[in-house]
Amino acid sequence: MAPANTTKKAVGNPAGRGYESPRKPAKTYVSAEISLEPLDIEFSRADLEFEGVDHSGVSFEARVFLNNKKADARTSKTPGNGYAGSFHIFGHGGCFGDVGHCDVRGLPRHYDPRPAHALTPARKIVVATDAIRRALRHGKSMTVSVVPIVTSATSRCDFENVLKFDRVSVVTYL
Amino acid sequence: MANGLTIRPSVEGLELDPQALAALRDAYGKMQQLSATDNRSWIYWAGIHGFSQFMCWHHGRVGSGGDTRPYNLFLPWHRAYLLHFEHAARDQNNGARLPWWDWTSSGAHKRGIPKSFSAPKVGNERNTLHDGPMPPMPPDPARNTVRFPGRPADLPTAAQVNSLLSATSFADFNVQIEDIHDQVHGWGGGLNPSPPPEGGDMGVIATAAYDPIFWAHHCMIDRLWYLWQLRHGVSNIPPDYLDMPLAPFAVTVQDVLDINRLGYEYAQSSTHPSAPGTPSGGGDVTHGTGKHH
Repeated sequence: MAPANTTKKAVGNPAGRGYESPRKPAKTYVSAEISLEPLDIEFSRADLEFEGVDHSGVSFEARVFLNNKKADARTSKTPGNGYAGSFHIFGHGGCFGDVGHCDVRGLPRHYDPRPAHALTPARKIVVATDAIRRALRHGKSMTVSVVPIVTSATSRCDFENVLKFDRVSVVTYL
Repeated sequence: MANGLTIRPSVEGLELDPQALAALRDAYGKMQQLSATDNRSWIYWAGIHGFSQFMCWHHGRVGSGGDTRPYNLFLPWHRAYLLHFEHAARDQNNGARLPWWDWTSSGAHKRGIPKSFSAPKVGNERNTLHDGPMPPMPPDPARNTVRFPGRPADLPTAAQVNSLLSATSFADFNVQIEDIHDQVHGWGGGLNPSPPPEGGDMGVIATAAYDPIFWAHHCMIDRLWYLWQLRHGVSNIPPDYLDMPLAPFAVTVQDVLDINRLGYEYAQSSTHPSAPGTPSGGGDVTHGTGKHH
């Protein structure tokens, strides 16, 4: 991503899916311990990068907390709670077609001039420099909790399976 | 007009200019009255973004025809979309100009949706900026858009915008502005506080462009890209983006980088009314203001 001089990554894989709906308490995604030892201590910026984020359903705010496995929708967004920042998804609102309409096609064929599928999973970034510095002071590993808060939806949406992504990485820049 | 450029006003400026506001309402109203099968209609133009054509660009995707490099055409695609829509609106009333909604302003953080877009009626008539028609989306019947906006204090702040304008690369700027864009969409649609558990139409891709506030929100996004270009260069974009087509519009990324070549400019603050003395309430601008590239 944009800032040059990427140094090192610490990568975590989601151990489960988080859920949040306006009607029932949500399960929050909590990562396994992510080692911070590969990171350089000196950096000017640190991001949390979420790859493979689904955006087919509801729109939501994803609140990201470090080292706070108990974070939920009621947890205030303060440094003391490990709040690192949020990313937002403008969702498609569920499926408006027939069966298969929202199945993401594979890579476009040669000579296929169409853009790739509109539901190609997204990559989202939370600039979390201060929070990651605090986590580094805290120890050699950290957990990442993601609390999705639904902001808008349609009746076609799944209000429970809100947050789906492939992996989260910590990326630092010199 | 001396050089043919038009000024897109702020919503706050538009609200101080009754003639320009009336022109926009008139244009939108005429588009909204046209049938869905008419390619001048509100439904036709909104349907390019979401239901049923879903041609909008959000997030990164690989290229076409075997090109596996990632692209994110969110900003150029929506610039082309706004331009074509604005001309379709001007076909109905040549005085219409797309306004930009500064959701960072103190007014926005007090009132939320601007009054010109939130009032259901203007006098005894329907306010065409309040809602727009939607086609049937089986099994849902045709209806007009609704909104359940969030708390005004939750809108993005000027500090957030200033931070993203300092991003030095297009990719970094793009990913950050798209996130703020996503935030405002969810905020503007919101959730119905009473059953059924549905949201407002601005809140999801399928229906957002049917809501008139969509166009003012995207004008703000386009203006922020323009302000970023003034700081960091009009051509500051990955070179392999330049020839990418912006379907269904007959333009490429290269074609939409310079807004003056597209025939428009932005009013310079959220509180300035449009230049007076023109039938449209818009105004001429000249090059050489010291702020242009």
